Amino acid sequence: MNKLTNILLRNTIALCHRSQNALLGASVVAAKKDFHTTHAAQDLMEFFDSKKNWSENNIRVGRAWKLDELRIKSNTDLHKLWYVLLKERNMLYTMEHECKEKVRLFPNPERIDKVQESMNNIETVVKERNVAYYKLETGETGERPVEDVVSLIGLPEKYEKKEYAIPQFMNTRWVRTYLENGYINSIAVKKFLRLYKEKQHNEERKARNRDFNHVQHLLKRFPDMDMEKLKAEYPNVDIEKAKRSKKARGHFFPKY
Amino acid sequence: MSTRWYPIYQRGNPQLRVFLPNFWMKLVRPLPKQLPNTVSFQCSMEMTKYDIKNYLEKIYNVPVVDVRTKITMGKFRRDVGRGYVVKDDDVKYAHVVLPKGQTFEYPDLFEKSKDDDEENMKSLEEAKKSFKNYIDRNKDRQDVPSWFSI
Repeated sequence: MNKLTNILLRNTIALCHRSQNALLGASVVAAKKDFHTTHAAQDLMEFFDSKKNWSENNIRVGRAWKLDELRIKSNTDLHKLWYVLLKERNMLYTMEHECKEKVRLFPNPERIDKVQESMNNIETVVKERNVAYYKLETGETGERPVEDVVSLIGLPEKYEKKEYAIPQFMNTRWVRTYLENGYINSIAVKKFLRLYKEKQHNEERKARNRDFNHVQHLLKRFPDMDMEKLKAEYPNVDIEKAKRSKKARGHFFPKY
Repeated sequence: MSTRWYPIYQRGNPQLRVFLPNFWMKLVRPLPKQLPNTVSFQCSMEMTKYDIKNYLEKIYNVPVVDVRTKITMGKFRRDVGRGYVVKDDDVKYAHVVLPKGQTFEYPDLFEKSKDDDEENMKSLEEAKKSFKNYIDRNKDRQDVPSWFSI
């Protein structure tokens, strides 16, 4: 029974990343908490792992926090958890650095990735909530506005707007590049675009030929194939044309 | 905010508040030897002295008297195989002074594990022994691969 509760605890309280075996022995009361943390040392020693892990070769920890687990947490919980993770990451960085200095193996380096993943997930959830709130209140996402622009070298680009000291029309140096004789219309940019288009065209052509040849050889090897599946897999290939070609002719009497 | 997007100016220019800072700091061994109330950190390149002070005081509850920062340039080195030049990342150091009475000594993390060599030797001996056993067992069929056995 005790074992079962331990396993449940492990699964439900998700994890505090600091590997504390004390967690496994914790009573069921701990399950009521939204997340479990160790007693804060409130000291510079928080930059180091707990003392019993110093000479360990293998430190076992749980998995990272998942998005769905974080979505059901309150904002305050997420805020607290962020700082727990931040401290944990600092601790891991410190230990990793010291291990490198002393030419030791840093035990379980994947812990850093797990913490980082959890932090990324928290940020995603907070962002989701922020967007939802802004949409409800203002009808906009509240995110940084993004615009489709033509970049300096003439390619379409997503531009994330930012703050400038002077308005756009006053920025003569920037405006100059987009004028009739500006950089955007220069020979260099035109040449670049020409070559770029050529390259893209060649890639497309090669992909087309590759698919067509592949379909021909497939027809040669598997003449009784499901044609609809083939059509779905290679929508751009003219299958009737491929059937008529010489390469699709197998080593058998033709059926027509 | 921290290293994310710097917020756009609003009327009244409200104070900048960071709710989810993504700055990191790591406590490193001081080099050269420092006074006992000085602690050395490596930190995010974007952190200012004020950031460092607030970070330690608010998150770690460590009182800070003074912060000095310095950015060290990463080394230029040649790649071993190809010979091209590689530049290591720059590092920002923060030397933090604690109040007068407080001291901090960098702990020796690997004190306990000094008898590791003995254990390593023991496991090496064991491995040697088992390999010898394996050789002895297959003495009369040397050309048979190891995965082929009854």
